[in-house]
Amino acid sequence: MDNMMLIGLTRQLTLRREMDITANNIANAQTSGFKAEQVMLEAHTDSRARHVDGPNRVAFVDEWALGRDFSQGNLQSTGRPLDVALEGEGFFTLQTENGERFTRDGNFTLSANGELTTSDGSQVLDTAGNPIFLDPAAGQITISDTGVISQNGQPGQQLGIAVFANTSALEKVGNNNFSAPEDAERLVDELPAVRQGFVEGSNVRAMTEITRMMEVSRAYASVTKMIRDADELSRKAIDRLGRP
Amino acid sequence: MRALSTAATGMEAQQLAVEVISHNLANMNTTAFKRQRAEFQDLLYQTHSQPGAASSDAGTIVPTGVQVGLGVAAGSVYRIAEQGSLMQTDNAYDVGIAGDGYFRIQLPNGNDAYTRAGNFSLSPTGEIVTAEGYSVAPGIVIPAEARQMSINQQGQVQVLIDGQPEPQVVGQLELITFPNEAGLEQIGDNLLLESAASGAPNAGLPGQPGFGVVRQGFVEASNVDAVTEITALIQAQRAYEMNARVITAADEMLAASSNLR
Repeated sequence: MDNMMLIGLTRQLTLRREMDITANNIANAQTSGFKAEQVMLEAHTDSRARHVDGPNRVAFVDEWALGRDFSQGNLQSTGRPLDVALEGEGFFTLQTENGERFTRDGNFTLSANGELTTSDGSQVLDTAGNPIFLDPAAGQITISDTGVISQNGQPGQQLGIAVFANTSALEKVGNNNFSAPEDAERLVDELPAVRQGFVEGSNVRAMTEITRMMEVSRAYASVTKMIRDADELSRKAIDRLGRP
Repeated sequence: MRALSTAATGMEAQQLAVEVISHNLANMNTTAFKRQRAEFQDLLYQTHSQPGAASSDAGTIVPTGVQVGLGVAAGSVYRIAEQGSLMQTDNAYDVGIAGDGYFRIQLPNGNDAYTRAGNFSLSPTGEIVTAEGYSVAPGIVIPAEARQMSINQQGQVQVLIDGQPEPQVVGQLELITFPNEAGLEQIGDNLLLESAASGAPNAGLPGQPGFGVVRQGFVEASNVDAVTEITALIQAQRAYEMNARVITAADEMLAASSNLR
Protein backbone atom coordinates (compact mmCIF):
# COMPACT_ATOMS: atom_id res chain seq x y z
CA MET A 1 0.00 0.00 0.00
CA ASP A 2 2.55 2.54 1.13
CA ASN A 3 4.83 1.35 -1.65
CA MET A 4 2.37 2.77 -4.11
CA MET A 5 2.64 6.24 -2.61
CA LEU A 6 6.39 6.05 -2.20
CA ILE A 7 6.95 4.95 -5.77
CA GLY A 8 4.66 7.75 -6.87
CA LEU A 9 6.74 10.16 -4.81
CA THR A 10 10.04 9.10 -6.42
CA ARG A 11 8.45 9.61 -9.81
CA GLN A 12 7.17 13.04 -8.82
CA LEU A 13 10.63 14.07 -7.64
CA THR A 14 12.31 12.95 -10.85
CA LEU A 15 9.62 14.62 -12.96
CA ARG A 16 10.28 17.89 -11.17
CA ARG A 17 13.96 17.49 -11.89
CA GLU A 18 13.16 16.81 -15.56
CA MET A 19 11.01 19.92 -15.64
CA ASP A 20 13.83 22.00 -14.13
CA ILE A 21 16.25 20.76 -16.76
CA THR A 22 13.77 21.31 -19.61
CA ALA A 23 13.18 24.84 -18.31
CA ASN A 24 16.94 25.45 -18.32
CA ASN A 25 17.18 24.18 -21.90
CA ILE A 26 14.38 26.47 -23.04
CA ALA A 27 15.80 29.45 -21.14
CA ASN A 28 19.08 28.88 -23.00
CA ALA A 29 17.53 28.40 -26.43
CA GLN A 30 19.41 31.50 -27.63
CA THR A 31 22.65 31.09 -25.65
CA SER A 32 25.76 30.78 -27.83
CA GLY A 33 27.45 27.40 -27.64
CA PHE A 34 24.86 25.98 -25.23
CA LYS A 35 24.41 22.20 -25.23
CA ALA A 36 20.99 20.76 -24.39
CA GLU A 37 20.75 18.18 -21.64
CA GLN A 38 18.34 15.55 -20.48
CA VAL A 39 18.02 13.54 -17.29
CA MET A 40 18.45 9.78 -17.53
CA LEU A 41 16.59 7.65 -15.03
CA GLU A 42 17.14 4.21 -13.63
CA ALA A 43 14.97 1.70 -11.84
CA HIS A 44 15.95 1.15 -8.27
CA THR A 45 14.52 -2.22 -7.30
CA ASP A 46 13.80 -3.17 -3.75
CA SER A 47 12.09 -6.04 -2.02
CA ARG A 48 8.76 -5.47 -0.42
CA ALA A 49 8.31 -4.97 3.26
CA ARG A 50 6.57 -8.30 3.72
CA HIS A 51 7.39 -11.53 1.92
CA VAL A 52 3.77 -12.64 1.90
CA ASP A 53 3.08 -9.91 -0.65
CA GLY A 54 4.67 -12.17 -3.22
CA PRO A 55 7.95 -12.54 -5.05
CA ASN A 56 7.59 -9.38 -7.14
CA ARG A 57 10.02 -6.68 -6.30
CA VAL A 58 9.02 -3.05 -6.47
CA ALA A 59 10.92 -0.57 -8.56
CA PHE A 60 11.50 3.00 -7.50
CA VAL A 61 12.69 5.47 -10.04
CA ASP A 62 15.87 7.40 -9.48
CA GLU A 63 17.94 9.84 -11.50
CA TRP A 64 21.08 8.23 -12.72
CA ALA A 65 22.91 10.60 -14.97
CA LEU A 66 22.63 13.56 -17.27
CA GLY A 67 22.77 13.05 -21.00
CA ARG A 68 24.30 16.00 -22.76
CA ASP A 69 23.69 16.44 -26.44
CA PHE A 70 27.02 17.61 -27.86
CA SER A 71 25.73 17.84 -31.42
CA GLN A 72 26.61 20.87 -33.52
CA GLY A 73 24.55 24.04 -32.99
CA ASN A 74 23.75 26.04 -36.09
CA LEU A 75 26.28 28.69 -37.12
CA GLN A 76 24.97 32.24 -37.06
CA SER A 77 26.73 34.88 -39.10
CA THR A 78 27.56 38.03 -37.10
CA GLY A 79 30.03 39.78 -39.40
CA ARG A 80 32.41 40.40 -36.50
CA PRO A 81 36.06 39.41 -37.06
CA LEU A 82 36.55 38.20 -33.46
CA ASP A 83 33.52 35.90 -33.45
CA VAL A 84 34.62 32.34 -34.09
CA ALA A 85 32.64 29.12 -34.16
CA LEU A 86 33.82 25.53 -34.14
CA GLU A 87 32.49 23.11 -36.70
CA GLY A 88 32.97 19.62 -35.31
CA GLU A 89 33.79 18.34 -31.85
CA GLY A 90 36.10 20.36 -29.64
CA PHE A 91 36.35 23.37 -27.35
CA PHE A 92 38.26 26.64 -27.12
CA THR A 93 40.63 26.65 -24.15
CA LEU A 94 40.27 29.45 -21.63
CA GLN A 95 42.16 30.55 -18.55
CA THR A 96 39.77 31.76 -15.84
CA GLU A 97 40.46 32.67 -12.26
CA ASN A 98 39.20 29.20 -11.32
CA GLY A 99 41.60 27.41 -13.66
CA GLU A 100 41.41 26.04 -17.17
CA ARG A 101 37.93 26.05 -18.70
CA PHE A 102 36.52 25.05 -22.07
CA THR A 103 33.85 26.68 -24.16
CA ARG A 104 32.18 26.59 -27.55
CA ASP A 105 31.03 30.19 -27.25
CA GLY A 106 33.50 31.98 -29.52
CA ASN A 107 32.25 35.51 -28.94
CA PHE A 108 35.69 36.95 -28.19
CA THR A 109 36.89 40.52 -27.75
CA LEU A 110 40.19 42.29 -27.23
CA SER A 111 40.96 43.61 -23.78
CA ALA A 112 42.41 47.08 -23.23
CA ASN A 113 45.96 45.67 -23.45
CA GLY A 114 45.31 43.68 -26.62
CA GLU A 115 44.63 40.27 -25.08
CA LEU A 116 42.04 38.02 -26.70
CA THR A 117 39.35 37.37 -24.06
CA THR A 118 35.79 36.10 -23.75
CA SER A 119 32.96 38.51 -23.07
CA ASP A 120 33.43 38.01 -19.31
CA GLY A 121 37.17 38.66 -19.47
CA SER A 122 38.70 35.16 -19.37
CA GLN A 123 41.84 34.78 -21.45
CA VAL A 124 41.67 32.68 -24.60
CA LEU A 125 44.69 30.38 -24.80
CA ASP A 126 46.77 29.33 -27.79
CA THR A 127 48.01 25.83 -28.61
CA ALA A 128 50.91 26.20 -26.13
CA GLY A 129 48.59 27.34 -23.33
CA ASN A 130 49.68 31.00 -23.45
CA PRO A 131 47.36 34.02 -23.68
CA ILE A 132 46.90 35.42 -27.19
CA PHE A 133 48.01 38.98 -27.82
CA LEU A 134 46.99 40.97 -30.88
CA ASP A 135 48.02 44.43 -31.96
CA PRO A 136 44.86 46.32 -32.92
CA ALA A 137 46.92 48.77 -34.97
CA ALA A 138 48.55 46.02 -37.04
CA GLY A 139 45.63 45.69 -39.42
CA GLN A 140 42.89 43.27 -40.21
CA ILE A 141 42.60 40.08 -38.16
CA THR A 142 41.91 36.90 -40.06
CA ILE A 143 41.50 33.47 -38.53
CA SER A 144 42.10 30.41 -40.68
CA ASP A 145 40.17 27.11 -40.64
CA THR A 146 42.81 25.66 -38.33
CA GLY A 147 42.62 28.60 -35.92
CA VAL A 148 45.82 30.40 -36.93
CA ILE A 149 45.33 34.12 -36.33
CA SER A 150 46.97 36.35 -38.93
CA GLN A 151 47.27 40.09 -39.10
CA ASN A 152 48.05 41.69 -42.45
CA GLY A 153 48.85 38.24 -43.80
CA GLN A 154 51.43 37.54 -41.06
CA PRO A 155 50.48 34.30 -39.29
CA GLY A 156 50.71 34.51 -35.50
CA GLN A 157 49.40 32.43 -32.62
CA GLN A 158 46.98 29.56 -33.08
CA LEU A 159 43.76 29.11 -31.08
CA GLY A 160 44.14 26.22 -28.64
CA ILE A 161 41.40 23.68 -29.28
CA ALA A 162 40.80 20.77 -26.93
CA VAL A 163 39.02 17.66 -28.17
CA PHE A 164 38.06 15.19 -25.47
CA ALA A 165 37.76 11.47 -25.99
CA ASN A 166 34.97 11.30 -23.44
CA THR A 167 32.83 14.42 -23.42
CA SER A 168 30.56 13.03 -20.71
CA ALA A 169 33.32 13.61 -18.15
CA LEU A 170 32.94 17.36 -18.64
CA GLU A 171 31.06 19.40 -16.11
CA LYS A 172 29.14 22.61 -16.78
CA VAL A 173 30.21 25.51 -14.60
CA GLY A 174 28.03 28.34 -15.98
CA ASN A 175 29.07 31.33 -18.12
CA ASN A 176 28.99 28.94 -21.11
CA ASN A 177 32.07 27.18 -19.73
CA PHE A 178 32.86 23.55 -19.07
CA SER A 179 35.48 22.13 -16.75
CA ALA A 180 37.30 18.88 -17.42
CA PRO A 181 39.01 16.47 -15.05
CA GLU A 182 42.83 16.82 -15.02
CA ASP A 183 43.38 13.39 -16.53
CA ALA A 184 40.76 13.67 -19.30
CA GLU A 185 42.08 12.00 -22.43
CA ARG A 186 42.48 14.41 -25.35
CA LEU A 187 42.49 13.65 -29.05
CA VAL A 188 45.00 15.52 -31.16
CA ASP A 189 44.43 14.38 -34.72
CA GLU A 190 40.79 15.26 -35.41
CA LEU A 191 40.49 18.96 -34.77
CA PRO A 192 37.31 20.86 -35.69
CA ALA A 193 37.26 23.60 -38.31
CA VAL A 194 37.30 27.20 -37.08
CA ARG A 195 34.87 29.60 -38.77
CA GLN A 196 35.52 33.31 -38.42
CA GLY A 197 32.60 35.75 -38.32
CA PHE A 198 30.19 33.19 -36.94
CA VAL A 199 28.99 32.15 -33.51
CA GLU A 200 27.55 28.75 -32.76
CA GLY A 201 23.94 28.97 -31.64
CA SER A 202 22.36 26.83 -28.96
CA ASN A 203 21.56 23.27 -30.04
CA VAL A 204 18.29 23.23 -28.06
CA ARG A 205 15.48 21.96 -30.30
CA ALA A 206 12.38 23.93 -29.39
CA MET A 207 9.95 21.25 -30.58
CA THR A 208 11.61 18.48 -28.57
CA GLU A 209 11.72 20.58 -25.43
CA ILE A 210 8.11 21.70 -25.61
CA THR A 211 7.00 18.11 -26.26
CA ARG A 212 9.06 16.90 -23.30
CA MET A 213 7.57 19.64 -21.16
CA MET A 214 4.05 18.51 -22.06
CA GLU A 215 4.98 14.89 -21.39
CA VAL A 216 6.39 15.80 -17.99
CA SER A 217 3.41 17.84 -16.88
CA ARG A 218 0.93 15.16 -18.04
CA ALA A 219 2.93 12.39 -16.38
CA TYR A 220 3.06 14.46 -13.21
CA ALA A 221 -0.73 14.84 -13.29
CA SER A 222 -1.27 11.11 -13.67
CA VAL A 223 1.21 10.18 -10.93
CA THR A 224 -0.52 12.68 -8.68
CA LYS A 225 -3.85 11.05 -9.51
CA MET A 226 -2.36 7.65 -8.68
CA ILE A 227 -1.22 8.92 -5.29
CA ARG A 228 -4.67 10.35 -4.66
CA ASP A 229 -6.26 7.00 -5.58
CA ALA A 230 -3.92 5.18 -3.20
CA ASP A 231 -4.86 7.61 -0.48
CA GLU A 232 -8.55 7.11 -1.23
CA LEU A 233 -8.09 3.33 -1.07
CA SER A 234 -6.48 3.41 2.35
CA ARG A 235 -9.06 5.81 3.66
CA LYS A 236 -11.84 3.48 2.52
CA ALA A 237 -10.06 0.51 4.05
CA ILE A 238 -9.74 2.30 7.40
CA ASP A 239 -13.40 3.36 7.24
CA ARG A 240 -14.68 -0.09 6.43
CA LEU A 241 -12.38 -2.22 8.59
CA GLY A 242 -12.52 0.14 11.53
CA ARG A 243 -16.33 -0.04 11.68
CA PRO A 244 -17.45 -1.94 14.78
CA MET B 1 10.06 24.21 -8.16
CA ARG B 2 13.14 25.63 -9.87
CA ALA B 3 11.58 25.55 -13.33
CA LEU B 4 9.50 28.63 -12.52
CA SER B 5 12.46 30.89 -11.80
CA THR B 6 14.53 29.32 -14.58
CA ALA B 7 11.82 30.18 -17.10
CA ALA B 8 11.61 33.68 -15.62
CA THR B 9 15.33 34.24 -16.32
CA GLY B 10 14.66 33.05 -19.88
CA MET B 11 11.85 35.57 -20.30
CA GLU B 12 14.02 38.39 -18.94
CA ALA B 13 16.81 37.47 -21.34
CA GLN B 14 14.50 37.44 -24.34
CA GLN B 15 13.04 40.74 -23.24
CA LEU B 16 16.55 42.20 -23.30
CA ALA B 17 17.07 40.72 -26.77
CA VAL B 18 13.88 42.42 -28.01
CA GLU B 19 15.00 45.71 -26.45
CA VAL B 20 18.35 45.52 -28.24
CA ILE B 21 16.66 44.64 -31.54
CA SER B 22 14.19 47.50 -31.25
CA HIS B 23 17.04 49.91 -30.54
CA ASN B 24 18.79 48.67 -33.69
CA LEU B 25 15.65 49.05 -35.80
CA ALA B 26 14.96 52.51 -34.38
CA ASN B 27 18.47 53.53 -35.47
CA MET B 28 18.28 52.08 -38.96
CA ASN B 29 18.84 55.53 -40.45
CA THR B 30 21.11 57.00 -37.79
CA THR B 31 24.42 58.21 -39.20
CA ALA B 32 27.28 55.80 -38.44
CA PHE B 33 25.16 53.75 -35.99
CA LYS B 34 26.66 50.36 -35.14
CA ARG B 35 24.22 47.54 -34.57
CA GLN B 36 24.30 45.66 -31.29
CA ARG B 37 23.73 42.08 -30.33
CA ALA B 38 22.74 40.60 -26.98
CA GLU B 39 24.86 37.68 -25.94
CA PHE B 40 23.68 35.20 -23.30
CA GLN B 41 25.40 32.89 -20.87
CA ASP B 42 24.07 30.01 -18.82
CA LEU B 43 23.84 30.54 -15.06
CA LEU B 44 25.28 28.40 -12.28
CA TYR B 45 24.72 24.68 -12.13
CA GLN B 46 23.61 22.79 -9.04
CA THR B 47 25.22 19.41 -8.81
CA HIS B 48 22.96 16.66 -7.50
CA SER B 49 25.33 13.84 -8.12
CA GLN B 50 28.96 14.48 -8.91
CA PRO B 51 30.34 13.14 -12.20
CA GLY B 52 32.91 10.49 -11.35
CA ALA B 53 31.44 9.67 -7.94
CA ALA B 54 31.59 6.01 -6.95
CA SER B 55 28.28 4.25 -7.52
CA SER B 56 29.14 0.82 -6.11
CA ASP B 57 31.72 -1.04 -4.04
CA ALA B 58 33.00 -2.61 -7.23
CA GLY B 59 34.46 0.72 -8.28
CA THR B 60 31.93 1.70 -10.92
CA ILE B 61 31.49 5.44 -11.23
CA VAL B 62 28.67 7.78 -12.17
CA PRO B 63 29.65 8.69 -15.72
CA THR B 64 28.12 12.14 -16.02
CA GLY B 65 26.44 13.07 -12.77
CA VAL B 66 23.29 15.12 -12.53
CA GLN B 67 23.60 18.88 -12.77
CA VAL B 68 20.66 21.22 -12.96
CA GLY B 69 21.20 24.65 -14.47
CA LEU B 70 19.52 27.70 -13.04
CA GLY B 71 18.74 29.51 -16.28
CA VAL B 72 20.28 32.23 -18.37
CA ALA B 73 21.68 35.73 -17.94
CA ALA B 74 22.80 38.45 -20.30
CA GLY B 75 26.53 38.04 -20.92
CA SER B 76 27.07 41.23 -22.85
CA VAL B 77 25.47 43.54 -25.36
CA TYR B 78 28.21 44.30 -27.82
CA ARG B 79 28.54 46.60 -30.77
CA ILE B 80 29.39 45.16 -34.15
CA ALA B 81 31.81 47.65 -35.66
CA GLU B 82 31.28 46.48 -39.23
CA GLN B 83 31.69 49.29 -41.78
CA GLY B 84 28.41 50.95 -42.73
CA SER B 85 27.93 51.86 -46.37
CA LEU B 86 29.06 55.35 -47.39
CA MET B 87 26.21 57.50 -48.64
CA GLN B 88 26.90 60.39 -50.95
CA THR B 89 25.45 63.66 -49.70
CA ASP B 90 27.48 66.21 -51.73
CA ASN B 91 27.66 68.37 -48.63
CA ALA B 92 31.26 69.64 -48.41
CA TYR B 93 31.26 69.31 -44.61
CA ASP B 94 30.13 65.67 -44.53
CA VAL B 95 33.08 63.36 -43.95
CA GLY B 96 32.74 59.58 -43.96
CA ILE B 97 35.43 57.22 -42.63
CA ALA B 98 36.23 54.23 -44.84
CA GLY B 99 38.11 51.83 -42.58
CA ASP B 100 39.09 52.01 -38.92
CA GLY B 101 39.08 55.07 -36.74
CA TYR B 102 37.01 57.68 -34.95
CA PHE B 103 36.94 61.45 -35.02
CA ARG B 104 37.84 63.10 -31.72
CA ILE B 105 35.23 65.55 -30.48
CA GLN B 106 35.73 68.14 -27.75
CA LEU B 107 32.77 68.08 -25.38
CA PRO B 108 31.63 71.37 -23.76
CA ASN B 109 32.96 70.07 -20.40
CA GLY B 110 36.44 69.76 -21.88
CA ASN B 111 36.49 65.96 -22.14
CA ASP B 112 37.07 64.06 -25.34
CA ALA B 113 34.42 61.96 -27.05
CA TYR B 114 34.71 59.88 -30.21
CA THR B 115 32.38 59.44 -33.15
CA ARG B 116 32.22 58.09 -36.67
CA ALA B 117 29.29 60.34 -37.58
CA GLY B 118 30.95 62.90 -39.84
CA ASN B 119 27.96 65.13 -40.58
CA PHE B 120 29.85 68.29 -39.63
CA SER B 121 29.07 71.95 -40.21
CA LEU B 122 30.61 75.33 -39.45
CA SER B 123 30.24 77.31 -36.25
CA PRO B 124 29.70 81.10 -36.29
CA THR B 125 33.47 81.48 -35.85
CA GLY B 126 34.18 79.27 -38.86
CA GLU B 127 35.28 76.23 -36.90
CA ILE B 128 34.36 72.70 -38.03
CA VAL B 129 31.83 71.36 -35.48
CA THR B 130 29.43 68.42 -35.10
CA ALA B 131 25.66 68.70 -35.49
CA GLU B 132 25.50 69.52 -31.74
CA GLY B 133 28.04 72.32 -32.21
CA TYR B 134 30.91 70.50 -30.45
CA SER B 135 34.33 71.23 -31.87
CA VAL B 136 36.04 68.54 -33.98
CA ALA B 137 39.63 68.05 -32.82
CA PRO B 138 42.14 69.50 -33.50
CA GLY B 139 39.87 72.54 -34.08
CA ILE B 140 40.09 73.55 -37.71
CA VAL B 141 38.98 77.09 -38.58
CA ILE B 142 37.97 77.90 -42.14
CA PRO B 143 38.81 81.55 -42.94
CA ALA B 144 35.77 83.65 -43.77
CA GLU B 145 37.22 84.74 -47.09
CA ALA B 146 37.71 81.12 -48.26
CA ARG B 147 35.92 80.32 -51.51
CA GLN B 148 36.04 76.59 -51.55
CA MET B 149 36.94 73.97 -48.96
CA SER B 150 38.14 70.50 -49.79
CA ILE B 151 39.23 67.58 -47.63
CA ASN B 152 41.42 64.92 -49.23
CA GLN B 153 41.54 61.24 -48.32
CA GLN B 154 44.46 61.84 -45.94
CA GLY B 155 42.34 64.36 -44.01
CA GLN B 156 44.10 67.53 -45.16
CA VAL B 157 41.70 70.47 -45.17
CA GLN B 158 42.48 72.94 -47.97
CA VAL B 159 40.82 76.18 -49.00
CA LEU B 160 41.01 78.40 -52.04
CA ILE B 161 41.31 82.08 -51.27
CA ASP B 162 40.75 84.82 -53.86
CA GLY B 163 43.98 86.20 -55.20
CA GLN B 164 45.97 83.11 -54.19
CA PRO B 165 46.26 80.55 -56.99
CA GLU B 166 47.59 77.76 -54.69
CA PRO B 167 45.19 76.03 -52.26
CA GLN B 168 46.05 76.83 -48.65
CA VAL B 169 46.22 74.03 -46.04
CA VAL B 170 44.26 75.18 -42.97
CA GLY B 171 44.25 71.99 -40.94
CA GLN B 172 44.52 68.25 -40.72
CA LEU B 173 41.77 65.89 -39.48
CA GLU B 174 43.06 63.15 -37.22
CA LEU B 175 41.65 59.68 -36.54
CA ILE B 176 41.77 57.70 -33.30
CA THR B 177 41.78 53.93 -32.89
CA PHE B 178 41.42 51.84 -29.73
CA PRO B 179 42.75 48.39 -28.75
CA ASN B 180 39.16 47.29 -28.01
CA GLU B 181 36.68 49.55 -29.72
CA ALA B 182 33.78 47.38 -28.52
CA GLY B 183 34.67 48.60 -25.01
CA LEU B 184 33.90 52.25 -25.74
CA GLU B 185 31.09 53.64 -23.64
CA GLN B 186 28.06 54.99 -25.48
CA ILE B 187 26.61 58.29 -24.29
CA GLY B 188 24.04 58.97 -27.02
CA ASP B 189 24.20 61.65 -29.73
CA ASN B 190 26.38 59.19 -31.73
CA LEU B 191 29.19 59.85 -29.24
CA LEU B 192 31.43 57.35 -27.48
CA LEU B 193 33.73 57.75 -24.50
CA GLU B 194 37.01 56.08 -23.66
CA SER B 195 36.66 53.48 -20.88
CA ALA B 196 38.89 51.10 -18.93
CA ALA B 197 37.81 48.34 -21.32
CA SER B 198 38.53 50.23 -24.53
CA GLY B 199 42.18 50.96 -23.76
CA ALA B 200 44.02 54.20 -24.45
CA PRO B 201 43.32 56.16 -27.65
CA ASN B 202 45.91 55.90 -30.37
CA ALA B 203 45.96 58.92 -32.67
CA GLY B 204 47.04 58.86 -36.29
CA LEU B 205 46.38 60.39 -39.66
CA PRO B 206 43.89 59.03 -42.17
CA GLY B 207 45.57 56.69 -44.64
CA GLN B 208 48.33 55.58 -42.26
CA PRO B 209 48.58 51.80 -41.69
CA GLY B 210 45.82 50.72 -39.32
CA PHE B 211 43.70 53.82 -40.00
CA GLY B 212 40.94 54.35 -42.54
CA VAL B 213 40.72 57.14 -45.07
CA VAL B 214 38.20 59.98 -45.04
CA ARG B 215 35.82 60.82 -47.88
CA GLN B 216 34.45 64.28 -48.29
CA GLY B 217 30.81 64.51 -49.35
CA PHE B 218 29.85 61.19 -47.83
CA VAL B 219 28.42 60.05 -44.50
CA GLU B 220 28.58 56.54 -43.13
CA ALA B 221 25.13 54.95 -42.94
CA SER B 222 23.91 52.73 -40.11
CA ASN B 223 25.06 49.10 -40.44
CA VAL B 224 21.69 47.72 -39.26
CA ASP B 225 20.29 45.12 -41.62
CA ALA B 226 16.50 44.99 -41.38
CA VAL B 227 16.18 41.36 -42.46
CA THR B 228 18.65 40.13 -39.82
CA GLU B 229 16.93 42.16 -37.12
CA ILE B 230 13.42 40.98 -38.01
CA THR B 231 14.62 37.35 -38.04
CA ALA B 232 16.20 37.86 -34.63
CA LEU B 233 13.00 39.50 -33.42
CA ILE B 234 10.92 36.48 -34.46
CA GLN B 235 13.38 34.14 -32.72
CA ALA B 236 13.32 36.20 -29.53
CA GLN B 237 9.53 36.41 -29.52
CA ARG B 238 9.11 32.65 -29.96
CA ALA B 239 11.70 31.95 -27.28
CA TYR B 240 9.81 34.28 -24.95
CA GLU B 241 6.55 32.44 -25.62
CA MET B 242 8.21 29.08 -24.95
CA ASN B 243 9.50 30.28 -21.59
CA ALA B 244 6.02 31.52 -20.74
CA ARG B 245 4.68 28.04 -21.57
CA VAL B 246 7.21 26.50 -19.16
CA ILE B 247 5.88 28.72 -16.39
CA THR B 248 2.31 27.57 -17.15
CA ALA B 249 3.34 23.90 -17.18
CA ALA B 250 5.31 24.21 -13.92
CA ASP B 251 2.36 25.98 -12.37
CA GLU B 252 0.03 23.16 -13.44
CA MET B 253 2.35 20.65 -11.78
CA LEU B 254 2.36 22.62 -8.55
CA ALA B 255 -1.43 22.92 -8.71
CA ALA B 256 -1.74 19.15 -9.14
CA SER B 257 0.35 18.65 -6.00
CA SER B 258 -1.62 21.10 -3.96
CA ASN B 259 -4.87 19.44 -5.04
CA LEU B 260 -3.73 16.10 -3.59
CA ARG B 261 -5.86 16.68 -0.55
